[in-house]
Amino acid sequence: MAIFTHGNISLEVDEDGFIQDPEQWNEEVAKALATTEGVSELTESHWKVVHYLRKYFLEFGVAPMIRKLCKETGFTLKEIYELFPSGPAKGACKVAGLPKPTGCV
Amino acid sequence: MSSDSRSYKAQVLAELLSRKLTRPLVASLVSCVHCGMCHTACHYALADPEDPRMTPSYKGDQLRKIFKRNHDWTGRVVPWWVGAKAPITDEDLEALKEIAFGTCTNCRRCTFNCPMGVDTASINRTMRGLLTAVGVMPEGVRVVSKDQWEIGNQMGVLKEDYLETLEWLSEELVAEVGDPAAAIPIDKQGARVVYAINPREVKYDPRTITNAALIFYAAGEDWTMASDWWDQTNFGLFSGDDQLGGTAGRRLFERVAELGAEKLVISECGHGFRSTRCEAQNWAGVDVPFVMESAVVTMINYIKEGRIKVDRSKNAIPVTYHDSCNLARSCGITEEPRELLRLVVSDFREMTPNRQENFCCTGGGGAMSMSEYTPRRLKSAVIKAKQIADTGAKIVATSCHNCVDGLSDLIKYYKLGCQVKQLVDLTAEGLVLEECAVRRTPRRVVPMPEPLPEVGPAPARALPLAGRTVLVVDDEEDARTFIATVLEDAGARIVYACDGDEAISVAKRERPDLITLDLSMPGKDGVEAFTELRHDPEIASTPVCIVTGHPEFRKVIYDRPVPPPEGYMDKPVEGEALVKNVRRILETAHAAA
Repeated sequence: MAIFTHGNISLEVDEDGFIQDPEQWNEEVAKALATTEGVSELTESHWKVVHYLRKYFLEFGVAPMIRKLCKETGFTLKEIYELFPSGPAKGACKVAGLPKPTGCV
Repeated sequence: MSSDSRSYKAQVLAELLSRKLTRPLVASLVSCVHCGMCHTACHYALADPEDPRMTPSYKGDQLRKIFKRNHDWTGRVVPWWVGAKAPITDEDLEALKEIAFGTCTNCRRCTFNCPMGVDTASINRTMRGLLTAVGVMPEGVRVVSKDQWEIGNQMGVLKEDYLETLEWLSEELVAEVGDPAAAIPIDKQGARVVYAINPREVKYDPRTITNAALIFYAAGEDWTMASDWWDQTNFGLFSGDDQLGGTAGRRLFERVAELGAEKLVISECGHGFRSTRCEAQNWAGVDVPFVMESAVVTMINYIKEGRIKVDRSKNAIPVTYHDSCNLARSCGITEEPRELLRLVVSDFREMTPNRQENFCCTGGGGAMSMSEYTPRRLKSAVIKAKQIADTGAKIVATSCHNCVDGLSDLIKYYKLGCQVKQLVDLTAEGLVLEECAVRRTPRRVVPMPEPLPEVGPAPARALPLAGRTVLVVDDEEDARTFIATVLEDAGARIVYACDGDEAISVAKRERPDLITLDLSMPGKDGVEAFTELRHDPEIASTPVCIVTGHPEFRKVIYDRPVPPPEGYMDKPVEGEALVKNVRRILETAHAAA
């Protein structure tokens, strides 16, 4: 287990930097995590993606398919990659406070 | 040391080893002379030369000690003299897990550099398999293996999500090229080619699927994707579980055969290709009536046959190629990717060393799914980072999904500023569609596929299992009470049974929505009860989640000539995981109904 610190935020993350306890997530935490994923400022578009991911995760316990993410947020795949350069699995899910996706990613 | 003092798991592990011993494995176990050549071959050892535990021979010694203790007379008579030692406690097994999963990616570079021909990666995979068989493995490997057993693909992608995604990609591609013939065909009986993918593509990054579909379309190929058993990856290779390996392979083989294809084209995935093409037939004990080919070879042939035309000047950024361990060292695929790259990019630069001597991306052997070892993985990646930086290339091309993620991680960590692409991406980006087969030959009219009905999420409930009845079958009162309490707290109504006979009568009377079933019980045990449940038309379709302290029984259950259980959990179960599993099973059953 590792500790992630940024400004006055300090929380437990796994060795890949994903939050351990989803309850600890809030918008300030998201902003802090975004700095590790090459996103310096979270725009309205970023928040739309982040809030959808989090809502879906809290309801179903897994990350949504990229198809669902695009459909529900209205962004194309290309736009998602522009918003989160490390992609939906690692970048967007990490900022939204989801655990690391399972499998070869 | 008497074997009586061993823990149950340690005892089972020792017994299982005797069944896994093959001539090549024993040769590798007895012929190491500890010369140290492997130390300079391994990226873990090179990145951390002061730590002797990173040397491949040390990792191989872990199984060697158990082998000596149980199978070599010197180890039985004078164990202290020859370093023979079998694990005794569960803590010993945990320590072995750390070594087998956390300090080796089974990349086989040491194998190619061993003067004695010792295959340390095979030894390590055998160790992983023994540990997995007694339920000792990293959590990430457990979750992924479970999804592959139970849902049929390693990322737990449900059928409706898979089909909806393909339909979306298909529509976008049709719109992009302006031709309904570019649609992705699903379950097309008698198609010449079946294309199988890695679940990562459909779940998170489907650009490779679109690019492959564009190439098949451009070549005028008669191809299709299967609606189920479409996963060409195989966690059995990583976990050392040949039973999972055989089951996953057999499902894919049977599906391709049912579709009547001449050829299975495997998307760019190193371990998937090795498992499917080179290993799974042996694990499953089956032969296949079709050809298996890497998508790299398919693309080269299309170019050589003039079916697709690629303009190299469209890919002008300097590209280097990273050989996947499984493709280069285990399957001999070294020249084909280079041949393809020289046809599709204008500035190709070799990485040094390369081909069979290339270093691992550090994400191999399932390492990407084991977060607990990430710091060591990234430390070992310093070797790979230097190799990449020395080429001066801005794109690292690779033919493996695992490598894509391993490389992307280390490129970010070491701030190399490169992109990672697959050969299918570079080929698709260089296509000159106007000069491809599909635009030269008379057009076939392909009807657009019928849109699938919309599948919405299950309605939200106050409690996740409200309104559900669950039959909890277990002979141990503590286990019964625990499972019942957890499920009751999640809103379910609980009914009980203590053995197999009672389970069947209660199931018929109460008609539960789901049954949790223990396997070892007095009287009629869980295996018999499960088979009987499945044969009884009144209750045959009731979902069953096995909850057992015997992970090694999984194959026994899955080999029954009846539909497999919907879930399989190892004791001790955690409450949260139990609710999540039960909920997932109920929602999947609901969606399928």
